[in-house]
Formats: sequence, C-alpha cells, structure tokens
Amino acid sequence: MNPKRILCASHGTDGARAAEEQALHLCHNDIALHHLIVVPEFWKGMMGDDWLNNAVTRERFGNYLEGQLDSEVAEVVERLDRAVQETGAEFSCESRFGKPAECLVDASRGRAFDLVVIGSPRPKGMHGLRSRMDIGTLVRELRIPLLIVPHPGS
Amino acid sequence: MVYTHKHPALLIMGVIFLIIGATAQFGLQEGLIGYLKTSKYLGEMTGLAYTAGVIGVVVGLWHLFGTHEEGNLDYYLSTVAGVIFILLVAMIVRWYLAPIVAVLSKGLGTVMGAKYLHQVLGLNYVVLGILAGILIVNVFKIPEWADNGIRMSRLGLKTGVILLGTLYSLAELAHLGRLSVVLIGFFVLGSVGLVLWFARRRNLPNSMGGVLSAGMGVCGVSATVAAAPVVQARSVEIAYTIGTILLWGVGCMFIFPVIGQLLGLGHIQFGAWAGTGILNSAQVAGAALAYQPDGIETLKVAEIFNITRVLFLPIIVLWLALWYVRREEGAEAVNTGRVIFEKFPVFVIGFILMFALSSTGIFAPANHYKGKYFDNDIAAEKLLKPEQVASLQQALPKVQRVDRQQALRRLIENRKVMSIDDDATLRGLVNAQVLTKDANKILKGAHKAVRHTAKKIKKFRQWITLLFAFGLTGLGMQITVASIKQAGGQPLVIGGVVGTAKAVLSLLVIMLFVHETI
Repeated sequence: MNPKRILCASHGTDGARAAEEQALHLCHNDIALHHLIVVPEFWKGMMGDDWLNNAVTRERFGNYLEGQLDSEVAEVVERLDRAVQETGAEFSCESRFGKPAECLVDASRGRAFDLVVIGSPRPKGMHGLRSRMDIGTLVRELRIPLLIVPHPGS
Repeated sequence: MVYTHKHPALLIMGVIFLIIGATAQFGLQEGLIGYLKTSKYLGEMTGLAYTAGVIGVVVGLWHLFGTHEEGNLDYYLSTVAGVIFILLVAMIVRWYLAPIVAVLSKGLGTVMGAKYLHQVLGLNYVVLGILAGILIVNVFKIPEWADNGIRMSRLGLKTGVILLGTLYSLAELAHLGRLSVVLIGFFVLGSVGLVLWFARRRNLPNSMGGVLSAGMGVCGVSATVAAAPVVQARSVEIAYTIGTILLWGVGCMFIFPVIGQLLGLGHIQFGAWAGTGILNSAQVAGAALAYQPDGIETLKVAEIFNITRVLFLPIIVLWLALWYVRREEGAEAVNTGRVIFEKFPVFVIGFILMFALSSTGIFAPANHYKGKYFDNDIAAEKLLKPEQVASLQQALPKVQRVDRQQALRRLIENRKVMSIDDDATLRGLVNAQVLTKDANKILKGAHKAVRHTAKKIKKFRQWITLLFAFGLTGLGMQITVASIKQAGGQPLVIGGVVGTAKAVLSLLVIMLFVHETI
C-alpha cells in the first residue's frame, strides 16, 4: 500500500503519538498528511451540577477552559506540523468538536484520503483519559482503509 | 443571535399542563388520585398546572408563530421552553411516578423494621426527579429548544434557599450556624490539606492537587469551577476532578439516606452529616429531601451547612491561589479583593434578608416558632369531647411529675390546652410514653387544636419544596455519564480515600456530639 493522502487523528496522548509516528513513517515529498484533532463533546457537560457560582465565575471558568483546550490543541498541531515539514510532506490540519468517531468519518468524506491512521485506546491501568473513539462506528462508516496503531504501553 | 426556536414543544407542554389541571379539577383523575393517595397534591395539580399551562400556551404560540429578533425579550422568553420542560418532568414525577413507586413498594411489604423499600432507598419525588433528569440528558439528550432554559434550574435552587430563610428562628440559626462552622471548618480545611498532602506524596502537579483539593474539600463541582482558573489546571486535570466528584456525589446521594435509615439518624444529625460528608452541594439537598420527603427539617439543617460551605469557598480559593503562586514560577499574582468579591455568593444575602424579615413577624405572629404559633381561642367543636375527658381522667393517676399532673388537670377542666407552657409540658408527657396510646392520641389532638401554622409560612414551605424539586430535576439534566466516565487515575484514588475518610469521620463526630436538641 502506498498512500498519498493520509488522514491522521491525534490529540497528543501516548496512543495518538504512536499513530503520529506511524503516519510520519509513511510521509515523504509527494505525500499530504491531514491532521484531525477532535475536542470531545463531553466538555459541554463539564460544569456538571454546579449551581452555587455566579455568572461571572462560570463565564471565567468557561473562558479559561476554552483557552486551555485551544492552547493544548495548538501545542499538538505545532509539534506534528514541525515533524511533517521535516519529512518534506505537505501538512494541513483541522479541529472539530463532537463525537470523535463521527467527526473522523465526516472528515474522511470531506477530501479524497487513501488511509486513516489512529492510535489505540490506552491499556487498562495506564494513566490517561478514557478513549471516546467508537471503533464500531469507524469500521461501519469509513469507506477507506483504517490503520489502528498499537498502544506503546500494550 | 436569536435564541428562540420555532418549535411546537412549548405549546404542547402547555396543553398537557392544562389537561392535567382540568382533569384534576373536574374529578376525572379521582380514581387515580385515590389509588395513588395523592389528594394532598390536588391544589398543585390545579393551581400550578393551570399557571404553567397558560404560560406554556401563550409563550408557546409566540415561539411558534411570532417574529423573533435578537435582544433581551428573545433571550428571556426562549428560556421558558426549558423551564416548562423541567417543571413538567418534575411534576409528573411528583404527582404520578413517585406515588406509583410508593404503591408498588408498599405492595412488597415492610423490609426494614416498619419501613418500606422506597423509604429505605429514599426513592421519592426528589431522587426520582434527579434520576429522570440524568436519564433524559444521557439517553434522549436535551432538545435544542430546551437547552437555554435548563440552566434556570440554578435560579430555582437559589430562590429556594432564599425562601428557606423564612423558616428559621434566631436560636435555631445561631445553633446550626455554630455547629456548621465548626464541622465544615474542620472537615473542609482537613480534606483540602489532606488532598494537597496526598498529591505531593504521589508527585502530582500542583495544579492537579489544587483543583482536586477544592473539589473534594468545599462544594464539589462548584469549587472546581471556581478554583480551576486560579491554579491554572490543565483540561485533563479538570476532567479527572469533575468526573471523580460527580461519581462520588451521585453515589453518596443514594448511599447516605440508606445508611441514615439503618443507623436511625435524626433529622438534625442526618442534615449535618449530609452537609459535611457529601461533596456536591446539589446532592446534599437531594439527599436531605430523600431522607425526609414530607418535611423540610432535614433540608433546613443541610442547607445551613451548604451556605457555610459556600461562604468558605472564597477563602479556600484565595488560599489555593496564594499556595499556587508560592509554588509555581510564572503564576499570575493574586488580587485578593477581586477573588473575595467575585466568589461571594450573593444569594446568601437574600437568605439573610428573608430571615431578618421573618424575624420581624411579617410572615407569622411574633410568638411563632418554626412558623407555628399558640392560640387557644378555638371553636367549640375543637374542644375535648366528654369521653376524651373521661379517658384522660382515668390516665391521670399514672402521671408522677407534678408539673405534668397540673397541666393535664387544667386540660381536663377547660377541655383545651391553656397556655404555651402547658402545651410544652404535655408534649413532654406524650414523648415520655407514660400514658396509653389512646390517651397520647387525645393529647396530640389537643396540641394540634391550639398550634396553628402561619398561612404564609405554609405557602413558603410548599414553594420551597417545589423550587427544590424543579431545581434538582433540572440539575439532573446537567449530569452526563460522559463526564462521570472521566473519573480515573490518581485523582480517583486520592478522591476516594479522602471522600471516604471525610464521610466516615464526620458521621462518627455527628453521632457522638450532635443531638436533636435544637
């Protein structure tokens, strides 16, 4: 297989970094790598059942969290951008908010990709947030080959 | 941005409320009401249903057919759909679902002493309302047209707390205030310190320790929201903390009432325990109402603890801010005044104002206690009947204490309780269980005849109950399983240890030192 246009979904965790490395191995001059980063929709419910705070505090928290997520996304994008440039491949990126699998399927249909690369969920007992990627949806909905890279801790 | 959705949902909900009101008023629900034993709700099922119905239909028509332009009118009227949605869910649970659960539970017979399963598990309209909210948001999702109004549940809860101010006496407030400051002070500061210590031992970042300690120590998610920007928590740390707290809080709301029932805790003991041991303030109110659904004595105690906690919040946030600045290079300098000003809970001032107004006697006669006052100028049919007098005369020799004998004699002679002191003495006689069941029943009847509940206070109690049912059902709609699932890692371990220690130790302290003497 010799993919020319790769869609790599990564949000900077250990599993996602393994996917990035695998995608980078496939990169060279005439390859285009598109980086998708998804902010999972659970963040929408992250003020939970807070009712004691006033609007100022809630707004400050909302702005802070948004800024924090923005800077974390920018950090991941910048790192991958640098690494892709070094291979001579072309780099592009986008971020979406929603269910990771649905976002990935949607992104894969937006352009003509040859391959989708993602990481594996972290093995039990390892540090990190719970993976929100629904592999079943991906397998059912994707129309192009999917490469799931094993987690480095597995 | 235009917030109003052109959607028939509000109109439909308004019509549903009107149907409920009309069928209740014209007796079409008589059989159901009799079966579910919900005749006490008949007033609400007409008055509240008609009010909500009319609002729903009028605003619903505007939502559907009106022209909507960006502005305050659009924003505020768009919230009505969400408000009526919460109210409909909360009232269906209160008027139908919870009574059905009670009937089914009674059908199973008693399970623990004289208690039924739903009483032991606290499955009343409050807990079922929260569960219904959780179910709706996680299974069906909140519809877009309701999204903007769901947050109004916070206003409902704050208004409920403000109105609670009318139900306290000065002695009660002073006593509960002292108790809550001591317990909350010790356990809040203790758990904040313990989490920070654990976090250091396990080499967690300062930001993680800081945000987790606020959440575990003060008032759960609210404290996390207030403290996260101050300690510059990363997104993953916020997710861990909120997941851990929600998991713990929802679990406690169900476990605490069961343990309270098993241990036979009094209302004050349980309110104090829930107010100290449960992390999330919303779940404190939920557990208190689950423990005592038909009265609000437990809620009154629990809310004083909640208020004390929220008054501690600015202090803890300030402490964490200063702590963080000392440990992290490049951390923002702390503006003490701004932190205190911004985090101060304004609704507590409303609570104090209502308490002050109530103390002037504006809502109940000046000599009231907990909204009840003594007045023995009663109608002839409320006087003791001759056979009741004869019964009490027979019981008189059993009474040993002179003051009780005298009070009982005066009651027999006058066929009614003659003074507030006599009333207190005869209540003591009933509690001492010296007399037969029949005699005690007669004394209780004589007490009821001269003790009156102030009408305004009765209304406040009803409103408070409804506001909490509304608020907690709405808050249930904001608890997502996806956020609870983020609980994990070291924060869950530390949170579990500190949360359990706080719950167990506070229970021990309360059982040893807190008695029903307020």
